[in-house]
Amino acid sequence: MTQDTLRMRFGAVLGNERRARKGIVMMLVCACVVALLAGMAAPHQALAATTGTLLASDGTPLVASTVSADTDGNVALAEKSDAALLSSASYGIDSFIRQNKGTNKTYNDAYYGYRWTEAGEGAFSVVVGDSFAIVHIPQATADALGIDIADAKFQQDFLTTLVAIDRAAADGGKELGKLSLTYYFTTSDTVTHGDYTYQFDVQLEPGYYYTTCTLAESDDGRTGAQYMESGQVKLAADTVVKEKATGLAALGAFFQKLDWSPLWVSLRTTLVAIAVIFILGLFAAWWTMRVNDRVKGILDTIFTIPMVLPPTVCGFLLLLLFGSSTAVGRWFIAHGLNIVFTWPAAVIACIVVGFPLMYRTVRGAFEALDPMMLDAARTLGWSEGKIFGRLMMPLAWPSIAAGTVLAFARAMGEFGCTLFFAGNYVGITQTIPIAIYFDWMGGQTDVALFWVIVVILISFAVILFINVYSSHSQRYRKRLGE
Amino acid sequence: MKHRTKALVAVVCALALTGAFALVGCSGSSSSSSSSSSAASSSQAASSSSQKVELQIFAANSLEKALPEVQALYTQKHPNVTFSDTQFKASGDLVAQLQSGASADAFIAASTSSMDSASKNGSIDDSTRADMFLNDLVVCASQNSGITISSVEDLGTSSDINSIAIGEPNTVPAGKYAVQSLETAGLCTTTTDADGKISVTYNDSVANKMNDGADKVGTVASYVKQGQCDVGFVYSSDIYRYDGIQAILTVPANYHKAIKYPGAVCTSSKNAETAKDFLNFCTTDPEAQQIFAKYGFELA
Repeated sequence: MTQDTLRMRFGAVLGNERRARKGIVMMLVCACVVALLAGMAAPHQALAATTGTLLASDGTPLVASTVSADTDGNVALAEKSDAALLSSASYGIDSFIRQNKGTNKTYNDAYYGYRWTEAGEGAFSVVVGDSFAIVHIPQATADALGIDIADAKFQQDFLTTLVAIDRAAADGGKELGKLSLTYYFTTSDTVTHGDYTYQFDVQLEPGYYYTTCTLAESDDGRTGAQYMESGQVKLAADTVVKEKATGLAALGAFFQKLDWSPLWVSLRTTLVAIAVIFILGLFAAWWTMRVNDRVKGILDTIFTIPMVLPPTVCGFLLLLLFGSSTAVGRWFIAHGLNIVFTWPAAVIACIVVGFPLMYRTVRGAFEALDPMMLDAARTLGWSEGKIFGRLMMPLAWPSIAAGTVLAFARAMGEFGCTLFFAGNYVGITQTIPIAIYFDWMGGQTDVALFWVIVVILISFAVILFINVYSSHSQRYRKRLGE
Repeated sequence: MKHRTKALVAVVCALALTGAFALVGCSGSSSSSSSSSSAASSSQAASSSSQKVELQIFAANSLEKALPEVQALYTQKHPNVTFSDTQFKASGDLVAQLQSGASADAFIAASTSSMDSASKNGSIDDSTRADMFLNDLVVCASQNSGITISSVEDLGTSSDINSIAIGEPNTVPAGKYAVQSLETAGLCTTTTDADGKISVTYNDSVANKMNDGADKVGTVASYVKQGQCDVGFVYSSDIYRYDGIQAILTVPANYHKAIKYPGAVCTSSKNAETAKDFLNFCTTDPEAQQIFAKYGFELA
């Protein structure tokens, strides 16, 4: 078998003189190693361990692969890094998984070693040790696909594909291409390396296979490998590689994946809040006009203070008021008002921070009205309600509209108070500003950017609307004046 | 003129009604959903597979990418169980959130002490508590930064490193492990007050470099990724969760307490049986193991 391997290696390197020279050197090295090991034979396993030789289950040493991965190979990679195909290869890789960690956990109270899951029945496994990597391809798989695992062309193509898909799946972890490793291809289900024993295709329950590593006289085999990878070898024709979409298709994929819920949550929350703010703001402004100065001062302070306080303080106070950590909060909860981290909490947060803007603007407008005119209406026998509805409201309307828009913008942009009091629940309390923050923090910069654009567009539309509307109402006022 | 007033009154009334209905409507729906889920749990003993159940999980921030994939797998195998928006925050924040009355079905913390606090507050059912995952602490730098260190002690001497990010040690477990590692390396001293609050005094060699305010371990990774800090202490699993960062040193395990992720069913859970089954699924299902291993979590 060794002779066959050598002859084949010779054939593969004939075309390139430099590589041929290298091949001869490597061949000589191999021959020396083989001769040495033959001299040692099986009974000297302890000695073999100290020299770090990898042995198959029948005691024969594994043959080190002499090929190196071609890093310039044209390898097509799937978007999810689960499939890869080298353009010139006869075989591709499918169902690829990278296992950065295994587990020493027992299975049904029996210890099987430090174990990693394999990609399924007949899957290949790659165990990455400190200076070597064992590539295990089950005999049945090799037979079914007609693979000679000692064939240099196969090894070269396989390693090129493996190194490429490993780099794609590394996600910042170690990469085969950057580690200096000697590769050993084997079909043996057991490989020993000193005190470490690697087993492949260990079936613990029907359909699930594991690669295990045990250290002699220990129940911790994690030091036997840096990480492990597994996948299925497929004929090139059977390997399906779904590459990443580009251009318009990528944009389509982005929108297909996008969760639109922050927009709906924002709109729903803000619209309900603004309806409440509108009524409460008008009423509060009208009411403070009608009380004596001392009470007015106190009311004014209470109504305005949320505008001055940091939103986080408002959120904290609301949490104290309604949360279960205070007596008041527990009383509310006992009486069925358990709203912390729910959607009504998001609405209340928006109302609290948006209300002062409405109130201040409207009160300013009401105070600017000529009191003589209001008194004149009273002498004509108009009720206070009629004066409010037919005199104060129409005259102060531009300010009321401005106040509403200001409060709307403030409520739409609410972040601190909402996060404190209503939390970040997707589809319930996650408004656009909160989504932007968490998308950015979670590394989804593209989604965060999209929401930023949406917010800018909404703000632009609101301002445009108010400008058009106010010019319209000004025209109406002008006509009244004429 | 009269017409206009009427229209105005009508609009105001409509707005008021909308607001009132919306508020009443949502409080009504939330109470009805809670009553239906309690009904689900009571009948669950009889038939466990047909009732629709929605689980609310609170989990350590580092699980933000791995856990949703496992949840999708669980839903695939148990179509009656879905998951509402899982909360991934610093374990300390989640303990506080549970204490302040947020309801959850299960809690997975990134440190034993966070789970101890939750247990002390009565937020979790101690009989369901079990260690789920193991993790390593690493020092990370952005890819291509070229920064190399060979020990934690090097953080004090390396001239390439001008800023070091760690999580806030009292709420972020990764921050606490980082402080323990720095203390072992002789780069800081800590005092713990009667309430268990940790105060850290950094040595002069690192005092000007430390940024120890990150609200969760993911924030540390973001700081390093975006270049606000040169290096940061994160879990080895965070390397796989964030693009653009790599581990430049795995902190030796004897520098800090063992990093274990305990999980438990919450006392406020109305679906305790399902929650328990899900936690068990996470640590025993081979496909779940595959997902956790991909993101660098070792089953305990």
